[in-house]
Amino acid sequence: MINDTDNLEAFEAKETVNKLPVSWLILFWGLILWGIYYFVSYTPSISGWSQEKAYEESIRK
Amino acid sequence: MNDYQYDNGTVKGFIVSSIFWGVVGIIVGLWISIQMWSPAWNIPPYFTFGRLRVVHTNGLALGLGVGAIFGICYYITMRLTKRPLLFPRLARFHLYLFNAAITLAALSLFAGMNQSLEYAELEWPLDIGVVVLWVIFAVNIFGTIIKRKEEQMYISLWFILATVVTVAVLYIVNNLAVPASLFKSYSIFAGVNSANVQWWYGHNAVGFIFTTPILAMFYYFLPKSTGLPIYSHRLSIVAFWSLVFAYLWTGAHHLVYTPLPDWIQTLGIAFTIFLIAPSWGSVVNGFYTVGADWSQMRNNYLTKFFILGITFYGLQTIQGPTQGLRIVSQLIHYTDWVPGHVHMGTMGWVTMTVAASIYYIIPKIYNTEIHSVKVANAHFYLVLTGQLIFSITMWFTGIQQGALWKATNPDGTLKYTFMEGLIKNYPFWQMRTVGGLIFTVGMLFFIYNIYMTVRKGKALAASSI
Ligand code: HEM
Ligand SMILES: [Fe+2]
Repeated sequence: MINDTDNLEAFEAKETVNKLPVSWLILFWGLILWGIYYFVSYTPSISGWSQEKAYEESIRK
Repeated sequence: MNDYQYDNGTVKGFIVSSIFWGVVGIIVGLWISIQMWSPAWNIPPYFTFGRLRVVHTNGLALGLGVGAIFGICYYITMRLTKRPLLFPRLARFHLYLFNAAITLAALSLFAGMNQSLEYAELEWPLDIGVVVLWVIFAVNIFGTIIKRKEEQMYISLWFILATVVTVAVLYIVNNLAVPASLFKSYSIFAGVNSANVQWWYGHNAVGFIFTTPILAMFYYFLPKSTGLPIYSHRLSIVAFWSLVFAYLWTGAHHLVYTPLPDWIQTLGIAFTIFLIAPSWGSVVNGFYTVGADWSQMRNNYLTKFFILGITFYGLQTIQGPTQGLRIVSQLIHYTDWVPGHVHMGTMGWVTMTVAASIYYIIPKIYNTEIHSVKVANAHFYLVLTGQLIFSITMWFTGIQQGALWKATNPDGTLKYTFMEGLIKNYPFWQMRTVGGLIFTVGMLFFIYNIYMTVRKGKALAASSI
């Protein structure tokens, strides 16, 4: 039968198998925070911003 | 012949089929790239840009992409579950049905049958065929995984499962239609709803055809071909779940500044930017893995393919989210910038990773070595050059196009006519054809190398009997 199955141990680096790099964690949580800020700022029913208003403003200049 | 041999036959069949459809799709791609600057290359009615473009996208996404995904996912699943496929005969039938479906799909597109939804062009009878194909795939993958002989599930299996489940949901929902005749149907969605469903589908086709199965290959073949273990299993799992969760919310970034309600666009953009993190989880994991021994980049030709592939994936997943921002979308949307983005992904990430996986698989199942590492290196540098020329020319001309379209006189009238903007594209479109040609030559080197390896393997097998 199958003669070239895999030894799963060979796929995982023992010392670092559970590591989450700090720089990556900062990116991960930072982007979640940014997403919340962005959603609040650019949702018409929350902040009052709207594409229409932003456009009107841009051509008044 | 035992089961083991039989299953490999199906894997080989899918690989050969996907290479065949790849050649068709690439030739058509070169052809349409010429049509962009030389209209005489349109031959009505079958070989006009409108017909050929969909043959190109479907030929490569379904033929080369999905064909390779079927074969390579079967290969990976058997090895990680430590057993043959649960239904080997069904898998063989799957292979025949796949080729029949792609043939009919190509013919129907040449004939001009089209649902007018991007990447969901096929008319309803073929949609049913695609669903049957996918159900067969799902039954075999799920069945084999449920009956696995290895308890632990390696990350590649998770990525394969996500692909199987998500593509099924996406494809069925976006293709819901009321048939009017055998070759014509009407979508059940209309207007803004149709656009929203279409780009939820379109974006996740990228996510679950050009990302998750390719990451399954990356996570499997990188350690196999380098002998280096993946840096962090936890990072791969966290990145996996956050990726599949976030992807499904982001389709609205294709509809920025459209009548889609503002809040849906905003929500889509917030998730789009977040998507950098899960995408880069895999990029970081790949870099740290090979970071244990960078000399592999020089000594092992496959490492180059995988590392350049994941690098382009990394660039793609920064460029893509950036494009979703309102300020960027308003400049580059509708311009040639977008095909520049697309082809860094398809040529740089997907094709690079798939080709490297095939380079690994073919010598393995024929019990031999690759025909020529030199030819593989030539292939590598040619496709790299071709792809860079393609993407960079399109980025330039895309920004130029966007700027010309948006330029207004003080009284608000347009500064440039459409023709003035169009003509400026010509030198870039011609350069793109040159880039495409270089890429094609690279792919011919690849095919030659695989062909010679198979021949060597067959000769070896014959002489050892
Ligand atoms: C985090 C990952 C990614 C994000 C957020 C993203 C984002 C985007 C955005 C915003 C567009 C629309 C550009 C416009 O029309 O204005 C786009 C187009 C596209 N992207 Fe990406 N991208 C990502 C990764 C990828 C990858 C890895 C591929 C692989 C091939 C890819 C393939 C495509 C394709 C085919 C289109 C064209 C869709 C069309 O037909 O209009 N993207 N992407
Ligand atoms: Fe997208």
